[in-house]
Amino acid sequence: MTIFTIMVNGTPQRVEADDPNMPLLWVLRDKLDLTGTKYGCGIGACGACTTLIDGEPLRSCQVKIAEVGDRKITTIEGLSPDLSHPLQQAWMQIDVPQCGYCQAGQIMNAAALLAKNAQPTDIDIDEAMSDNVCRCGTYQRIREAIHLAAGSKK
Amino acid sequence: MASKLSRRSFIKGATVFTLNMAVGVAFAGREKTVAAITTGRVGDSLVDLAKANPELVMLNAWIKLDAQGLVTVAIPKADMGQGVRTSLAMLVADELEVAWENVRVEQAIADGVYGNMLTAGSGTIMQLYNPMRLIGATARHMLTQAAAQTWGVDAAGCRAEAGKITAPDGKTLRYEEVAAAATKLPIPARNQVKLKEAADYKLIGKPTNRIDNPDVVSGRAEYGLDVKVPGMLYAAVLRAPAFGGKVASLDDSAAKAIAGVKAVVQISTGVAVVGENTWAALSGRDALKVTWAENPTASLDTAQVWEQLKTAKTSDLPPPTNAAKDLQVAYELPYLAHATMEPMNCTADIQADRAEVWAGTQSPDGVQRLVANKFQIPLKNVIVHTTLLGGGFGRRVEMDFITEAIETSAAVKAPVKVTFTRSDDMKHGYYRPASYHVLRSGLTAQGKPTGWSHRVTTSGVSLGGGPAFVVNFIIAAGTEPPYDFSKFPVDIQQVKTPIPVGFWRSVYASQNVFVVESFMDELAAAANRDPYEFRLENAESPRMKAVLQLAAEKSNWAEKLPAGKGRGIACLNEFGTYVATVVELSVAEDGNVTVDRVTAAIDCGVAVNPRTVDAQITGAIVDGLSTALMSRITIANGGVEQSSFRDFQWFRMRNMPQGKITVHLIASNEAPGGIGEVGYPATGPAVANAIFAATGKRLRRLPMQASDILDAK
Repeated sequence: MTIFTIMVNGTPQRVEADDPNMPLLWVLRDKLDLTGTKYGCGIGACGACTTLIDGEPLRSCQVKIAEVGDRKITTIEGLSPDLSHPLQQAWMQIDVPQCGYCQAGQIMNAAALLAKNAQPTDIDIDEAMSDNVCRCGTYQRIREAIHLAAGSKK
Repeated sequence: MASKLSRRSFIKGATVFTLNMAVGVAFAGREKTVAAITTGRVGDSLVDLAKANPELVMLNAWIKLDAQGLVTVAIPKADMGQGVRTSLAMLVADELEVAWENVRVEQAIADGVYGNMLTAGSGTIMQLYNPMRLIGATARHMLTQAAAQTWGVDAAGCRAEAGKITAPDGKTLRYEEVAAAATKLPIPARNQVKLKEAADYKLIGKPTNRIDNPDVVSGRAEYGLDVKVPGMLYAAVLRAPAFGGKVASLDDSAAKAIAGVKAVVQISTGVAVVGENTWAALSGRDALKVTWAENPTASLDTAQVWEQLKTAKTSDLPPPTNAAKDLQVAYELPYLAHATMEPMNCTADIQADRAEVWAGTQSPDGVQRLVANKFQIPLKNVIVHTTLLGGGFGRRVEMDFITEAIETSAAVKAPVKVTFTRSDDMKHGYYRPASYHVLRSGLTAQGKPTGWSHRVTTSGVSLGGGPAFVVNFIIAAGTEPPYDFSKFPVDIQQVKTPIPVGFWRSVYASQNVFVVESFMDELAAAANRDPYEFRLENAESPRMKAVLQLAAEKSNWAEKLPAGKGRGIACLNEFGTYVATVVELSVAEDGNVTVDRVTAAIDCGVAVNPRTVDAQITGAIVDGLSTALMSRITIANGGVEQSSFRDFQWFRMRNMPQGKITVHLIASNEAPGGIGEVGYPATGPAVANAIFAATGKRLRRLPMQASDILDAK
C-alpha cells in the first residue's frame, strides 16, 4: 500500500494504491468516483480517457499513479463548475453527443487544442482530434462545435 | 435537463388500464411524495405503496408531476445514442401541453407495465409514436376534466396549454393544482381522448437538442461502467482464447497473492477474478495460470469459414428468361464487431430472494426474466436498471455480459461489476456474420433487368434459437430489390460455425443491400445506362423515386467530375424508411480512397425530432464508410485476431469527408419509420459504385482497401 496525494480539479486528493502502476484512469474512476473520464481501450488508442495533466491532453489509462507527482490534473468534472466552458456550451448548442460516451475525452482534447491554438482550422482540428474515436460518428458536429467555441470560421 | 438516473424505480403503476399496451398510471401531487415513492422499495405492489404513502395520488406510470409543475416522463426504451429519451419525452409533452423546459426524463426499471422494453429493430418510435402521445393526451384530458369540475363548467370549453388549464371565462388552474383531483377520475376510454392533428404539433417535428446534453458534457451522465453501489467488487473474466473453450486446469495462487484481489471463481464462460477495484481485478487476471481443454475449434480460421460459405448450395441460380444478356457475380462480406465505445459491462447484486442489476442493456425485461429464472427469484423481486448505453448497435441485446455478472455476484455473495477490456469486447462478441452472395440477372434487349435471383450464404442470428424459417425471414431483409422487374425468390443457405453471431446495425440488410445495390450498378453498366436514371426508372415506389431525385439533385449528380473522382448512388427501403445515398470520392494512384462528400435523402414519414434523424443518418453513414473501406474481423486459432481500435479500424476525424455529409429530409405525414439503422446499408454500395465510376473497377469484397483496388481488374 502506497499513499499518494494528487491534485485533481484544484483539490488535493489522498489516494491509497496497492500498486504504484495503477493507471490514473482507474484511480479517478474507482477511487475518486470521477467517472466522467471514460474507459475505452486501456492502451491509449481511443482517447475516451483524455484528461489534462498540466494542460497536456494525456490518456489517463497510460499514466501511472506513481508518475503523477505534483502535476495538476483536470478532468471533465473540473472543466467548469457550471457548464460555462465555451466548449461545453458549444457542445450543447450544436447538439454534438449521440451516445455521449466518448464526449468527455473529446471535450478535454479540444480544450487542450484551444488553449494552444485559439483559432484552429479544420486541418488543425483533424490533426488534434484524430486520436479520439467516436463510434456514433459525431465528428462533423465536433468540428463545428470547436469552431463555435473558438469563435472562428474555418 | 435530465434528472440523474434514479437508482430506484420510477413510480410503480397504480390503476393499470389498457391503451394499446399495458399502461399503469401514477401521479403524485407533491414533490415530497414523489421522493418517497421513488426511493420506496421497488417491487412493492401498488397496494403496499399506497399504504406506505397515504398522501400518494396516482395517475400514470409514465408521467410524474411535481409541485413546481415539472413533468417527468418514464422512458421504457434504452438510449444508445439514438436520442429516444428526448424524442419519447417530446411525444408525451406535446400532447400533454407542457413547456419543454419543464420536462425531465427518468429511465424506467424493467416492469411489465411498460410493455415490450426491447430496444431493437429501429422500432422505438414505430412502436411508441401513438402510445406515448396517447399517454400524454390521456393525462391532459383528465387534468382538464378535473379543472372543469372544480369550476363547474363543461370541459369542452376549457383549454390546456403550457401546463395550465384555462376556463371559458379566463380563469386558470395549473396542472399541479388539479393533479390530485384528476387521479380520482375514471380513466377515459381510448375514443374519448383526442390526439392532436399534425398541424397542431408544437414539439413533434421541431429540431430539439438532446435532453441529456448537460449531463454528458459535465461528465455526470451515468453509463453502466459508472455504476457504483455500496459494497461493490470489481471483476475481470478470463475467457477461452478459442470459441467454446473450457477450463482444464486452473492455478490461481499468483492471482490471489496480488493485493486487492478478493476471490477467484469459475463461471460458465471462464474464470472471474474479483477485486477491490478494476485494476486489481485486471492484474489478478493477468496472473492466472489456466490450461484450456482440447477444443476442435482451436484450429478454425477465416479461410475455412470461407470454404464453407462458398461451397454450401443446393442448386444453381435459375437462368433468366427473355434475356439478351445474363450476368452472374459473387460478393464476399466479412465478419464485423460492434465495437461499442463503452465496452460490455454489468453490475449485479444477487441475493437469496431478491436481485438487482444495473446495465446498459437493450433488453431490461429480458434481463429480469433471465435472473428470475436462473435463481428462482420472483420476477417482481428482480430490479433491473437500464443506464445510458455507450453505444449498442445490437450488441447489448445479448446476455453474455449480464450472465457473467450475475454468476460472479452469486458466487461471491456481493454486488459485482464485470468489466470487459477493449480486447475482451473485440474478441468475445456476437459478430455481424460473414456472408457470401451470388447474384444473377438477365437484361432484356431494351436494357430492363429480368429474372433477378440471389443466393445468400451466411450464419443465422436468432435470440435464443428459433426455427430455420424464422431465421430465414431475418436473413432475407434487404434481399428484395426495391425495383419493378421480375425476380425469383431469394435462396438462403444457412451455415453453422462456432463463431458467435448477432444482430448488428441493420442486421442482414447490412449485407444484402450492399450486394443488391452493387449488382444493380453492374446491370446499369451492362445496359450502358446512368446508374441514377436506371434506378429511377425501375424504382417501384413514388417515395423511393423521390429520395433518389432529391439525393441526385443535392449531390449535383449531373455535374461531371475530373479523372480519378467518382460518384456512386444506392438506395433502400427498410424499417419503414426510404433512403438514397450518393458518395463522391477520389481514388489516388496508390489506390487510397478519400471520401469527398456524402449526400443522403431520407423519407422516414413523420420525423419526431429532425435533429436526431440527421444525427442517426450521418452516424450510420460514418459506419458505412468505415466498413466499406477499413473494418473487418478475421479468425485465427479459433478466435478473433483483432483486439482494439488499432487493428479494427474505424473512421476518425481525419477520415471524414472535407465536403461534409449532408442529410436532406423529405417532409411527410406518413407513419414514422425507423432511423437508427437505415442510414447504414446504402453507404457501402454507394462507395463501391463510386470507386467503379472513378476507376472502372468493380470491387466485390469488403473492405475495399487500397491494395484491393490496385489488384482489381
